[in-house]
Amino acid sequence: MLIPHPLLGLRDAQEFTCLGDAALLNRPDGLADPQALTDYVYLRDNPAGVHRELWFHEQGDRSWLVVTRNTLTHEILGAELARDVALRAKGAK
Amino acid sequence: MTDLNTLQLTATTALGGTLPQEARHGALRMAENSGLALASLTLRRGTTQPAPFGLALPGPGAWGQAGRHAALWMGPEQWLIEGEGLAETDFATALQGQCPGCSVTEQTDGFVAFEITSEAGEAPILALLARLVNIAPDRLRPGMGTRTGLEHMSVLVIRRAPDRLALLGLRSAAATLWHALTTAAARLG
Repeated sequence: MLIPHPLLGLRDAQEFTCLGDAALLNRPDGLADPQALTDYVYLRDNPAGVHRELWFHEQGDRSWLVVTRNTLTHEILGAELARDVALRAKGAK
Repeated sequence: MTDLNTLQLTATTALGGTLPQEARHGALRMAENSGLALASLTLRRGTTQPAPFGLALPGPGAWGQAGRHAALWMGPEQWLIEGEGLAETDFATALQGQCPGCSVTEQTDGFVAFEITSEAGEAPILALLARLVNIAPDRLRPGMGTRTGLEHMSVLVIRRAPDRLALLGLRSAAATLWHALTTAAARLG
């Protein structure tokens, strides 16, 4: 499986470690809403189909990526730097 | 008792000898480079990108050289700076002086460097690369370099010239990496 790294081009998936759901980027304020934090910590979507996940380029440039992947076909639909995704979300607020 | 003023200490190389090891297989010559000084350079928020030792810091996947100094892109706003023949100097302090406000960490003794030279152009280098790392050849053209895995070890692969390749790995795994390298070269036939 090859991951299209936005900076380094196609790289072997063996160089990466997968953390899971990219929703982890959106951490709620636990003091303002404890229930939202509980859901954030313990609940994950597990879709059969297109899923956005956090991948770490451990044997590479050590960047975090958001990889869009189809869990049924293993097709990789895209990858972008998690930093860019997080900054965009911050800017949208 | 030994007179400390006349004591001559010789540094042990990463492979444990007093002299760097060398090997030759076909057109490929491999040698331990014990003189290579290394320091990492990271920008901090608000600092502008410096040009240490006259180096134009390279972009993603690239490597650049200016005289005896060179720089490899390691990640966003991070580089590894090389100083040829400067291993016994205080390289990190010299680099810090060139990059005020940036984070600099000495790396020389954390790594082992192997230099691979071909006497028959780039073909033997490309053949060796195909055996060593899972990186597309067009991502390791001359002037490019990257961090990747080799037999489950983290390594830095730098294509210094069409016929020259450098392999930097963990110093504690120097003999394992040297074995992997010489075995792959010997099997090229």
